[in-house]
Amino acid sequence: MPQSDVALAPLQEWMQAVVTHPSDVYDAAAAAEIAVDDVILPSQTLQPIQRIGIYHGMYMLRMIEALTVDYAAVAQFLGEHAFEHLVRDYVQQFPSRSYTFNRLGDSLPEYIASSSMKRRTFLRDLAKLELAMTHVFDEAEAEPLPADAIASIAPEEVADARIIPIPALRLLALDYNANDAFQAFRDERPMKPRRQKTWLAIHRRDYGVYRMPLTREAFVFLESLAARETIGNAIEAFNRRFRRFPEQSELFLWFRDWSAAGLFTAIEAK
Amino acid sequence: MNRLNFPDLGIGVGLRTVHFSHILGSQPDVDWFEALSENYMDTGGRPRYVLEKIAEQYPIVLHGVSLSIGGTDPLDFDYLRKLKSLARTVNARWISDHLCWTGVSGRNVHDLLPMPYNAESLRHTAERVRVVSDFLETPLVVENPSSYVEFATSTMTEWDFLASLAEESDCGLLLDVNNIYVSSFNHAFDPNVYVDAIPADRVVQVHLAGHQNHGTHIIDTHNDFVIDEVWKLYGRACARTGDVSTLLEWDADIPDFPTVHAEARKAEAFREAEVAYAAV
Repeated sequence: MPQSDVALAPLQEWMQAVVTHPSDVYDAAAAAEIAVDDVILPSQTLQPIQRIGIYHGMYMLRMIEALTVDYAAVAQFLGEHAFEHLVRDYVQQFPSRSYTFNRLGDSLPEYIASSSMKRRTFLRDLAKLELAMTHVFDEAEAEPLPADAIASIAPEEVADARIIPIPALRLLALDYNANDAFQAFRDERPMKPRRQKTWLAIHRRDYGVYRMPLTREAFVFLESLAARETIGNAIEAFNRRFRRFPEQSELFLWFRDWSAAGLFTAIEAK
Repeated sequence: MNRLNFPDLGIGVGLRTVHFSHILGSQPDVDWFEALSENYMDTGGRPRYVLEKIAEQYPIVLHGVSLSIGGTDPLDFDYLRKLKSLARTVNARWISDHLCWTGVSGRNVHDLLPMPYNAESLRHTAERVRVVSDFLETPLVVENPSSYVEFATSTMTEWDFLASLAEESDCGLLLDVNNIYVSSFNHAFDPNVYVDAIPADRVVQVHLAGHQNHGTHIIDTHNDFVIDEVWKLYGRACARTGDVSTLLEWDADIPDFPTVHAEARKAEAFREAEVAYAAV
């Protein structure tokens, strides 16, 4: 193609295809519809392929760096080489489509789960945990309810009341002990992941992100509240699941702990 | 004063997460901060909280990397709405981004990809700058990028392109003298010619930074002190612009805040000397 015919839009399509090609820049150039030498001029020291190769090399480094920040524990458990391989494959299927890097890793847990990687269920759970922490970090701020607010609901209004969670709350049900694995990563000590049903509330308080382990029963009840069910409906859902109603003492302890952690921001009473 | 009437804010520092605690705790004597727009647009977490606290005490300028003003995808008005909202919240003195494109077909490469400098690019970019400035209700300030390729379809120099862009779109210019130096090395032109050709009355702000010289080419890494040649270019630019808002960027291998601030403060001597020289 004559050089003067490469208009702006096709030039940008061409350059993006070369820069983001998963293989090396020579394979990228071979796959492109326009020859590199027809588009890029040589410099005094570099050939056109070497010049565009600078952008090609930096592209993947940026993707790896961004996902290493969001998935530091996954990266550590996988090892540098395997993680880079994962990122190369992942960004081919889920390239960034946002003006912010914050959304780049949103599909990584599902991608890992659908892969043929070894230990993929554990790595998916660890990725889900890290993604939840990232989301909670960035969520909107909301004033938590005072610790005694729930206790002050009139008894006749309790069943129909809704307890509104803060935006910075995520609930996770995991198949592996990913929370222990994350803590081991933080503590820089080795640990062997094992299958263990785990329930967590990931939440933010005073701009810090916390991981709160839950029992299965507490998780089910809190999940109903987070779905904006009334307290009465949450109790009914609990009963359907466990064939018993939550004990008064259970409810007291849950609401006490969750209020102290600032998980709720409002009460909607009828 | 530039013709857009944006004030000289003095010497500022790029706001980086690793310095949050120091800035909040010791309230350093910095003239102003430049915040990377995209880091604060989509978060209600600590970064946004810190930026708003800092904005209560210091002038803030917003500097973006994802506007893609030269891109051929449609402008992203969701992005622009969030940018405008953030600018109002922190009372941004102005909003800048780069003369570049960042992706097409809905993708973001997250790089400042270079433009071919020709009539088609100029027409396209000037129109988008006008639309963005109208939407933001403030003139966009456009920064010269560093680049590693030159296009066969370019028919004009980068400095002629920028000067024409400023004239046709009535935008301001953010003159990054490190980028000029980097590109001059990579493309073998005289950086002094570039500085001398820029319309000085359009220059709202100057950027300073360090880079990595690989022998055959220079990469704009923002990971080191400013080299002497770039300081000289800065002095040359100041002699043309007069007092102009100046900012040091440091994005990798970031040292403690006093070190970054001290490096930025070196600009004072160059500014005063060159302005005095220009007045003689």
